[in-house]
Amino acid sequence: MLKNAFLTLLSLAIAVGGGGASVWYALKLQDGVGAIRIGQWTAFPDIGTPTADPYSKARVAREGVLALGQAEGLSFIAERDSGGEQLKRQCAYKIAGGFPTARFWTLYAADQSLGVVETGKPRPAALQSYQVLRQADNSVVISVGSRPASGNWLLTSGAGKMYLVLTFYDTPIASSTGLSDLTLPQIQKVGCNA
Amino acid sequence: MRSLLHAVLLGLLGAGIVHIIVLLLVPEFSERDAWSRLAMASDLYKMTRLDAEAGGAPVVKSVDPLFYAAACRFDLAEGMVRVKAPGKVPFWSISVYDRGGHNIYSFNDHSATAGVLDTVVLTPAQMIEVRKDLPEELQGAIFVEAPIEEGVFVIRSFVPDDSWKPIVSRFLEQSSCELQDF
Repeated sequence: MLKNAFLTLLSLAIAVGGGGASVWYALKLQDGVGAIRIGQWTAFPDIGTPTADPYSKARVAREGVLALGQAEGLSFIAERDSGGEQLKRQCAYKIAGGFPTARFWTLYAADQSLGVVETGKPRPAALQSYQVLRQADNSVVISVGSRPASGNWLLTSGAGKMYLVLTFYDTPIASSTGLSDLTLPQIQKVGCNA
Repeated sequence: MRSLLHAVLLGLLGAGIVHIIVLLLVPEFSERDAWSRLAMASDLYKMTRLDAEAGGAPVVKSVDPLFYAAACRFDLAEGMVRVKAPGKVPFWSISVYDRGGHNIYSFNDHSATAGVLDTVVLTPAQMIEVRKDLPEELQGAIFVEAPIEEGVFVIRSFVPDDSWKPIVSRFLEQSSCELQDF
């Protein structure tokens, strides 16, 4: 009798605990269901729309996100460099390549909650396309790091995990057909200030 | 031993069911969604700044640092809502969200007459009423038909550099979100 009660309790504990924990874990992952990966960059084009999958819907409700609409823009998030290593705030990176068509884009360095990295200086950890210098072939090279760099410099500071958020505004790529043959810039690690 | 294995397997099966149920219930019962956060910050039909620049923590997270944003909550059951903002800024965009935070309509300044933000959100039934006799003052407005009652209206505006901060701030602070009688 006691054994049966114990087994029932065990089943219930696994069901409730496991079910709850797995939802929590699935919602915490950056790279979830409904993601589109282009190189190192991940986007959720369906997030916040009524046609989104249940995981995106739960994430929207839990985090209070108000996602960008299709006529507004599309955000890409990078978590790793082209070598597959986690981006770190104490490291320097070089972002190089062509950017897809858009009225303008913004790029910022973010912490784990995807808020912009606090630099503690007047210069924010953010760049936008009207202020960048371009190469002769219209591509852009951006140096990311805490040390000043010539050309385009995205200031970061501190240590720990870093995310890069690249958002294109008023762009045709936000409609799903535009995403198929899209190329985004590469993120190369230059060195670390360990 | 076999009954223990049986119990564990049953538990795992149950975990799968609980996973699905919890996942589908999260949006229903979340008290941290955008609507709830805005409700704590301000009343219906009141424009609230979403970015941290206006002081205090940002109400709704993950706003682009080079953007300012403002939002107001509305309830179309009370009547249609008109949103206006005077002035010129480099870029603005509008999103209308339903109660659950789903983006149901969005447009940007290229869609507006002469780039002026003047828009009316209304239900299809209210649209039929308005069409019968369109008031003069609504001629230039953009009509957004939304089959919802409660919703959130968000204006986002680009701040290219520091010199634009006061202009974009003023643009958002002078924006209005009003219940329109018709």
